[in-house]
Amino acid sequence: MGVTRRNFVKFAIGGVAGLHLTPLPYKLMDDIAIWTQNWPWVPVPPEGEFLSVKSVCGLCPGGCGIQVRKVDERAVKIEGRTDYPVNPGGICPSGMGGLQLLYDRDLRHTGPMKRVGPRGSGDFMEITWDEAIKTVAERIASLRKNAKTEALVSVDGNSKGSTLSLMIERLTKAAGSPNYVRMPSLEDTYEMGNLLMMGNNGPMAYDLENSDYVLSFGSGLLEGWGGPGRIMNAWAVLREKASKGGATVVQIESRASNTASKSDKWIAARPGTDAALALGIAHVIIRDNLYDQQFVSNYTSGFEKFKTMVLGQYSPEKIVDITGVGKEAIKAMADGFARAKAPVAIYGKGKGTLNGSLFEFMSVQALNALKGNINKPGGIIISDPLPLATLPAISPDGVAERGILTPRFDQAGTNKYPFAVSLINNLIDVINHSDKSPVDTLLVFSANPAFTLPDSGEVNRALKKIPFIVSFSPFRDETSFMADLVLPDHSYLEKTDDIVRPNGLQYQLYGLTRPVVKPVYNTRSAGDTIINIAKAVDTKTASSFPWKDYESVLKIRAKGLFDSGGGLVRYKGAEPAWKWKTASDGPDYKSFGDMWKKIKTDGLWYRKLMPSAIDSGIFKTASNRFEFFISQLELAVKDYPTAAPGGNRLKELGITVEGDAAFMPHYEGNHHHDEQLPLTMAPYEMVNLASGWAPSPPFAYKTIFDDQLLGSDSFAIINPGTASEFRIKQGDYIIIQSKACAVKARASLSHGAMPGVVYMPLGFGHTAYDEFIREKGVNPNLLIPPGKDPLSGHPVWWTTPVKIMKG
Amino acid sequence: MKKEHDQGKYKYGMVIDLDKCTGCGTCMVACAAENNVSVRPDESDKQRSISWMQVYKADNGKEFPEAETVYFPRPCMHCEQDGRGGHAPSCVSVCVATATTLDKNTGIVSQIYTRCIGCRYCQAACPYKARYFNWWDAYFPVDKGLERYLSPEVSPRMRGVIEKCSFCHHRLMRARTKAYADGRRKIKENEYITACAEACPAQAITFGDLNNPKHKVAQLIKSKNAFRILERLNTKPKVYYLSSRDWVRKIADNPVDEFSPISG
Repeated sequence: MGVTRRNFVKFAIGGVAGLHLTPLPYKLMDDIAIWTQNWPWVPVPPEGEFLSVKSVCGLCPGGCGIQVRKVDERAVKIEGRTDYPVNPGGICPSGMGGLQLLYDRDLRHTGPMKRVGPRGSGDFMEITWDEAIKTVAERIASLRKNAKTEALVSVDGNSKGSTLSLMIERLTKAAGSPNYVRMPSLEDTYEMGNLLMMGNNGPMAYDLENSDYVLSFGSGLLEGWGGPGRIMNAWAVLREKASKGGATVVQIESRASNTASKSDKWIAARPGTDAALALGIAHVIIRDNLYDQQFVSNYTSGFEKFKTMVLGQYSPEKIVDITGVGKEAIKAMADGFARAKAPVAIYGKGKGTLNGSLFEFMSVQALNALKGNINKPGGIIISDPLPLATLPAISPDGVAERGILTPRFDQAGTNKYPFAVSLINNLIDVINHSDKSPVDTLLVFSANPAFTLPDSGEVNRALKKIPFIVSFSPFRDETSFMADLVLPDHSYLEKTDDIVRPNGLQYQLYGLTRPVVKPVYNTRSAGDTIINIAKAVDTKTASSFPWKDYESVLKIRAKGLFDSGGGLVRYKGAEPAWKWKTASDGPDYKSFGDMWKKIKTDGLWYRKLMPSAIDSGIFKTASNRFEFFISQLELAVKDYPTAAPGGNRLKELGITVEGDAAFMPHYEGNHHHDEQLPLTMAPYEMVNLASGWAPSPPFAYKTIFDDQLLGSDSFAIINPGTASEFRIKQGDYIIIQSKACAVKARASLSHGAMPGVVYMPLGFGHTAYDEFIREKGVNPNLLIPPGKDPLSGHPVWWTTPVKIMKG
Repeated sequence: MKKEHDQGKYKYGMVIDLDKCTGCGTCMVACAAENNVSVRPDESDKQRSISWMQVYKADNGKEFPEAETVYFPRPCMHCEQDGRGGHAPSCVSVCVATATTLDKNTGIVSQIYTRCIGCRYCQAACPYKARYFNWWDAYFPVDKGLERYLSPEVSPRMRGVIEKCSFCHHRLMRARTKAYADGRRKIKENEYITACAEACPAQAITFGDLNNPKHKVAQLIKSKNAFRILERLNTKPKVYYLSSRDWVRKIADNPVDEFSPISG
């Protein structure tokens, strides 16, 4: 049969019809779809044995208990522990996403590195551990040989009293340098204030769970203050009580933060006026005789002077003008606070990652003293530091002895800053104002000053001037990008390390992290690295580090817990640890060996609070009382010589008021008024965005709203009224300019913002890390010009005069 | 024949206390980590980013300093009905591939990725925006090391399919297996809870069987403060909310055109 026209048409029609009937094209399409859905880069998680390992989170000083679900050697999920007293079950979003910080190769330094690109570029070449340790040791040894040991400076972001921070300080001192510098935090403000008013430098503790009236001056309770796992649980406890009419939370803050929105009462005081408001409340309490007269007369000193000052200078009428808070609200707070059974006035600024203002804190502490709620359930708790064993003293040689006695670069502890322990802002200043950096070698531990410090432009300028920087960060952060050498620490899921009393916790607790997984990359525990460096410097430096490894140092210190007697190493969860004990508990271990073994598996030692009669013994001031009138401050002003002959001591300390008020908690006033910069920029913090040293896990960026970050732009929150003055609409680009610099952001209009204030989130604007974190938004730290908090000398970062314009 | 498991009629549901919710986002992270949800470099593009549990915010519309914010964590509501009397949720009734069904024994609305053809009808039908489309393969670049945290209990999704909250169904499986191994046919109240409920640091989320009067969820939904979002649509969601604030209850019950969340 030939190909006729008819046959051809039949064949074509048959073909078209057949094509519709045969499953072949559909099958092929389906196959292509399935095939392209199974590219080799779509991962298939391998099966394996399920395990659960208990540990403690080390991302912040909050010390939450975590358990990690593992499949064979892989860690697949972090969950909160219900058998840990700090955080019964819950953890914060950063802790929840911790595995990304463990595994993401681009977020971490995968081994010891030498810088090959320019500073800040992040171009490194991997070297061996031996070479890395040798390089640092030789650098220190040469400083020692030339008797220039003070040019070795350490910057430490680990929490105070942790064993790692002691090791860092020890290495610095043993090598012969007094320049061990800590990153500023709210703990510094607490410590200075408590030392001045109560003579006690134990950790600051608020018994929130047992309180029935929480008067919070700016503490970001729900923004991550004092350990989010514990505080959010305390919040739930307070809410539960509140639903039965048993507790009130008042938040004083200019912005409608989560804490302000969720509290029973939001008091919007102008930023930087907390001291005035606290003293205004004190005025009403004293005026109406609502204070605890027995406590005040038995355990405080200087009350009459304080009373005269407060009644004379802090009348509600005046406070209304300063703070913008109404008279009725001030009266209501005074009544609520003074009439509550177990009230507490707490102080903080956001998360507390940065310092607070010393006089503000002391003004808030004065309220607690008026009510006498010290060492009582629901009040503030003064307690001693954990009874950890002290390490043997270092044995400096002649070179080190000379070096240690040289003046600190940051002038902390000098007549000018008599109460500060360390002032990194002064160190930055000194470097920037010298032709040649006095710092030769900078060691940076668990800190990212290039990003987290206020005035970060100046910080980066100083870092560039330092000849040699060594970073011990496990993360590829901005500061490590400035480093010439990186000796990466393990992440908290790979090492044993201690958490010495989580921030703000009222009872004594010692936490211990453990290696949940084998080290993923070629990193080493910083404690071990320090010991190795010391041993490589010279025999004299090595003699201060007689230990095999870091874990043996941890064990030596933990022995002190055993020697102090008592305490528990297991938590059953039946009764919350914040309930004050009625009978002695523990010990639930037999010997130190048994105790250490249990701490290593459960990561925990704690001791509940026990009611004790207040006696004057707890106040270790000159008067053995709580001092409204601070004798140590009077001494520092009247007995110390002035820096310049004929100078004014008060002015040198940054105090502008005169007379008795200068020696008491007082409001310093706002001296930053500038016609050219009519608005105020206030940075704010979020619980779901890390603003400290450790980065946010990429997961956390899912929780950021698109009016906070959109593409590469972050948003500044402005009140709609203020915005309309500048013809700014939602989403507009704006330029925010301060004395320090100008940055671009987008505007987000919100009635939660105080008119005249521009709020910018801390934690955006990274230039390091990887594609999840880098180049997203701006860092408000860039805008903050140098400024000093009176008396403490710490940076003022909470208010910055700015102007805005459409960008 | 004796059944392996108790096949009685369960109705798993959730109660979220908005007075306790602090908007911290831990539930979102816990959910993403538990369920191998892909994280992309730009998560600010909310049209494309995937979050089975999404926290929305809304405010009371008042001026400073009376402004107040509320956060609504929103998982899949696991609706009982489509709102027009049909006994399948609106997403199920539109699915042409039978990739999603309402399990009558548990009340869980499932999603079978390998069956899904990616037509996105269900995404359009869902009044709660709880369904997400995979515009790309899961983001796990080779050599980045991130695939190591993936859980074998939940399969990672491929490009072109819809995904959504499963009430951590694999956890129910886990609890059932454990009960079976222990020789029990019933699982206890807290043996099966979702990752978000477990993670919430403020204990705002409660999970359990709404049919069992002894379960806490069944008691909580009787509160005068209990409500469901967009209740007027009559889709009978199994996720309830509690709030003592009137404006919050009002904002949640408004029809779609009146209620527009600020973000999401």
